[in-house]
Amino acid sequence: MITNKLALIIEDDFDASMIFATALSKAGFETEVVGDGAAAVTRLETITPALILLDLHLPRVVGTEILAGIRANERFNNTRVIVTTADSRMGESVRAQADLVLLKPTTFSQVRDLSARLVQGVRKTPTAKLENPS
Amino acid sequence: MLSSIARPFQPLLTVRATDPEDARRRKLLNILLVGVMIITLIALAVISVSALIGVAGEPWEVMLLFGMAVGALVGVAVIFAINRYRAGWIASALFLILLTAVITFGDDAREVVAGRSLFMFAIPITMASVLIRPYASFIMAGVTAVLISAIAISINIIPNTPAILSFVILALVAWLSARSLEHALNDLRVINHELDQRVAQRTQDLSEALSREQAESGKNQAILESIADGVIVFDNRGKAIVANASAALLMGHSLDEILHNDIQTLMAKDVDEADRDITIKLLRDESQRTPSFKFRWREKTLSVSFATVRGATGIIGNVMVCRDFTREAELDRMKSAFLSMTSHELRTPLNAILGYTDMLQEEVYGSLTSEQSGTLRRITANTSRMLGMVNNLLDQAQIEAGKLSIHVEPFAIENLIDDLRSVTTVLAENKGLELTSTIEPDVPTMLASDSQRLHQILLNLVGNAVKFTQKGAVGVRVFLPDANHWALAVSDTGAGIPSEAQSYIFEPFRQVDDPITRNNIGSGLGLSIVKQLTHLLGGDIHLESQVGQGSTFTVILPLVPIQEAETA
Repeated sequence: MITNKLALIIEDDFDASMIFATALSKAGFETEVVGDGAAAVTRLETITPALILLDLHLPRVVGTEILAGIRANERFNNTRVIVTTADSRMGESVRAQADLVLLKPTTFSQVRDLSARLVQGVRKTPTAKLENPS
Repeated sequence: MLSSIARPFQPLLTVRATDPEDARRRKLLNILLVGVMIITLIALAVISVSALIGVAGEPWEVMLLFGMAVGALVGVAVIFAINRYRAGWIASALFLILLTAVITFGDDAREVVAGRSLFMFAIPITMASVLIRPYASFIMAGVTAVLISAIAISINIIPNTPAILSFVILALVAWLSARSLEHALNDLRVINHELDQRVAQRTQDLSEALSREQAESGKNQAILESIADGVIVFDNRGKAIVANASAALLMGHSLDEILHNDIQTLMAKDVDEADRDITIKLLRDESQRTPSFKFRWREKTLSVSFATVRGATGIIGNVMVCRDFTREAELDRMKSAFLSMTSHELRTPLNAILGYTDMLQEEVYGSLTSEQSGTLRRITANTSRMLGMVNNLLDQAQIEAGKLSIHVEPFAIENLIDDLRSVTTVLAENKGLELTSTIEPDVPTMLASDSQRLHQILLNLVGNAVKFTQKGAVGVRVFLPDANHWALAVSDTGAGIPSEAQSYIFEPFRQVDDPITRNNIGSGLGLSIVKQLTHLLGGDIHLESQVGQGSTFTVILPLVPIQEAETA
């Protein structure tokens, strides 16, 4: 387990962010939660997390914009991005930009196991289809 | 000129009679009487003037002439009265007698029977045929012959036989002429009468047709006005020729504003350009028509449909029927809003429950007893089932609302099966069932379809198979039934579906009514959604089942070339 690596959770639903935060801290991350898109953009100006868990449906600034902003910034070259969404079509549209797309409902163990594997150096594989069925 | 002077005297001259011939003769006599009266008055004036200037001869002669003139006037008046109030023929006879008397005694006897006055008798003979009866000319000729013979004998002269004979010939000619005239007049009268009758009949027919027409058009108009939908008929040049009150009300124009205007003008201010273009296209082009087109017209939502009006001579124009769709559009919008709200609001808490339960199961907050762990498994299983039901209900609602879209994309069949196995293996193992999957070697690695919907279909079918099978195996097989199709078959070794149930299990909210399956609670929507999704993907679903032997659901889908799917 790698310790002291920062994971930023961008998620507006309190319960989901609680579960993700617990899962990521179990995976060895230091976690931080922001509840809306604008706050996430502000926070990302000062921090460079190892992992970002991004919900696509956010108030104020939509998830896809944040994702595009992260990918356009060289500072985040080593940052892994996990996208969570309930919309499979939207998930499909950002698959190329994200390291991993998780379709909701996303379970605790899924996030815990996959995030650890991702940051440990498991290369991003385009064929990885890890979305959970509804 | 003359006729205009005579017109005020017409009523005086005309005599009412049932026989038109009689009336004609009596009017003619009146005209002659007027003529005689005028001549007599002139004579009286001449006599009076002559007497006054002393050129009139002896006083007794003057007195005689005066008396004769006055007598003539009185005679004329009497005859006029008889003609008017008694019989026309008596008046005519009296007139002729008077005339004959004037001729007979108006000259010297010798001149009367053999001289200048003899041929004056031709006048009463001719008149008799016209005034009394055609044959009366013969009577008059006879009377004249007797009269001049008698006078001739009385003054010892041989009666003038050629003159008498010529009177008879004249009578014959007068008789023939008068008769022809009467016949001609009669024929004319008959023709006139027929014509009058025909005109009367035609007028009657026309007025009946007109009132019928009015009644008919009034009825049509009443029907048109009673329709709650707006109806406007446009002619071939695109001008509105018929419109009802509802149309005026819906469009917010007066009827006068609608009539004689084209659709473009009518929509100009009230409808946005894109909708206007579509409406005009629908009106003009029959082949473009869809059952109904909805758009905003001012603050209303209208649903319009078009039809071509064909008459006996070809296309007359087009009819536009518009319905107020405002309320329905609002309900539709509310339904959509409700669906998207529930799909988010119902799923989110269920997802949270699943997440927290998973956390506890993963012993984040300490180790669990087997009872605690078992309870958490039950919570997970029930929440998953509820989530599945919520998803099915929302899918069904989306399908019904026509909001479920299909995205055909290339996908790897192996991934689809792997995804399915990763979710369903646990379910099968929990029930002690074996889950097998086979992809036949001739199936292409990449297929084109909506993999998300296929996943949903397979999940439902395999979920059902596991649910209704107590012992044995559930198998998934991918194969090519023919050159143009590929198929997914899900088989189980469950209880099987009775043939009578096979017809209805694809209907929404229907399940096999069986004591065993009563325990397997569900929404009864799974197979209905599977069938509808299959149809949306352009495929079909078949069921083979025998009670006690198990069931096989086969989804057959079209083989779409990959390039085509990518460019689509």
